[in-house]
Amino acid sequence: MISTITNYSIALLCVLNINLGFDVNKLVQKRMQKEITKIFSCKDFELQDVTSTPGFQFKNSTYLVQHQIFEIKKEGALLGYAFLGTAPSKTDTFEYLILFDENFIQKKAKILVYREDYGGEISSNRWLSQFENTSLTERFFYGENISAISGATISVKSMTQSINYVYSQLQLQNAVAVR
Amino acid sequence: MKNKLPHLLAFFMISFGSYAQNVADSLEISMNQNLLQINGYQRILQNLEAIPNGMTLGGYAEVLYNQPESVNGEIDVQRLILLFGYKFDDRTQFVTELEFEHVKEVYIEQAFVNYSVNNSLNVRAGLMLVPMGIINEYHEPTTFNGVERPSMDNKLVPTTWREIGIGVSGRSDAMSMRYQAYIFNGFLSHNGTAGLVQGSNGLRSGRQKGAESVFRTPNLSMKLDFYGINGLRLGLSGYFGRTQAANEVFDTSGSTVGLSMIGFDARYNLRKFTARCQYITSSIKDVFEYNQLTAKDLGSGMSGYYIEGAYNLLPIRNRQRLFAFVRYENFDTHASVPSNTDRNAAYHRKEITTGLSYHLAPGAVFKMDYQSKSTGLDDDAKGQINAGVGVWF
Repeated sequence: MISTITNYSIALLCVLNINLGFDVNKLVQKRMQKEITKIFSCKDFELQDVTSTPGFQFKNSTYLVQHQIFEIKKEGALLGYAFLGTAPSKTDTFEYLILFDENFIQKKAKILVYREDYGGEISSNRWLSQFENTSLTERFFYGENISAISGATISVKSMTQSINYVYSQLQLQNAVAVR
Repeated sequence: MKNKLPHLLAFFMISFGSYAQNVADSLEISMNQNLLQINGYQRILQNLEAIPNGMTLGGYAEVLYNQPESVNGEIDVQRLILLFGYKFDDRTQFVTELEFEHVKEVYIEQAFVNYSVNNSLNVRAGLMLVPMGIINEYHEPTTFNGVERPSMDNKLVPTTWREIGIGVSGRSDAMSMRYQAYIFNGFLSHNGTAGLVQGSNGLRSGRQKGAESVFRTPNLSMKLDFYGINGLRLGLSGYFGRTQAANEVFDTSGSTVGLSMIGFDARYNLRKFTARCQYITSSIKDVFEYNQLTAKDLGSGMSGYYIEGAYNLLPIRNRQRLFAFVRYENFDTHASVPSNTDRNAAYHRKEITTGLSYHLAPGAVFKMDYQSKSTGLDDDAKGQINAGVGVWF
């Protein structure tokens, strides 16, 4: 009897686990937290969603389907910003993260979730490092200051355009200019 | 009629061109209208909590004109492929491509389920492309120069080469590498009445394409891609196994042959310059017995390479691109032959292709080129003019 219950519980747990596995939001959150921990060398930070607060408001576009902006704080002090964006790939979308320091200098770009087969090469740390240490005034051009990846052209262009759009929008915001 | 042909052709190309432009424009509009239509972009998540599933429509097409010297030309809707994808959830997708060749032949080019375990591991099964060289996997007309695919990717790598199988794929972001490994069904070398593979086009006629295919011996296919140097992508492919034969002849010596194929490819981009090259070599076993049984002339070794350079004549920030390119191919489907088969020098082909690829918009291209083809038998090159339109969406 007890063993039957145990077996059922294990089966139920497995089902629950699988369901949790499909929660994109959780996966994105988890990977974002991990990356912030690594880049800012700090575990006990707080994230404050500032997406719809003055100084950070802007609309989505063709290359930015969805976004969120967070302030990264530790004991009230501002460490930097985390930008979470969704951009189109050939037939799907992918989630990316950009981490900025407190002066909006990019520290890191990372692809958090890439779904389709085509274009997954843009997740290469090496390719993404081309965006690092840039300020919001920088603009990126495919083939000019951003190198191509054969077989991933559509996603390379999408990511490049998406970052250009985000930089231009953040640059327009007063709050950013003041800091 | 002969005089009218160029006018007709020009009219056709212009009208198709403006049509392609309209399609591209309307796609742009639909994207800007924030995804009102059912297309690939509709599945874009309005918020991260939305259930990420749905249908994808896409496709590619090539409408081509080939004009060899002093014989009739051919105008053909060479391929029209409709892609349907369905995402059951964030991990589970089905991808299928329905192909119409020359308007009236229908095939399934791909039909597989992909299950994504995580970023670095996918399991997939169904009718899939064999990863060998560049073109078999990246064959959409806007991704390569030249009206026709490289000839080597017809005779040596039998594009579009697809069979039913199961395997894994994935990538390492830290190492900038992608891997694929599959177990596939192999070529059919004997259908019970005749041998199918031969010297002129290697294994091409042995493709089973997933249609009531004969299976006994599994074949292994692998590819590694490395893209960790900016602008450069390297590929190493391998295919190992044995062909299949119908039940009636399966135990007959020579009804099947062993096959090992190895490919190396490189693609490079630097600003307005692009280049690619590919080397393929195959070794086929038990060809002596096969040729004896079937009276065919299959070679025991096939190998060759091509090298291509292209330069974009338009400013780099332009949306349109105009590539001028030149490609040299040198391959031999009779690189080696068994002792009971005469080596046919006509199977050693050398081709130079030079022309233009005019990308009207990302996904729509006009192509035109001139090919000069010669063989080991006859050094007098034969010329051919090609033109075509291609789309991919």
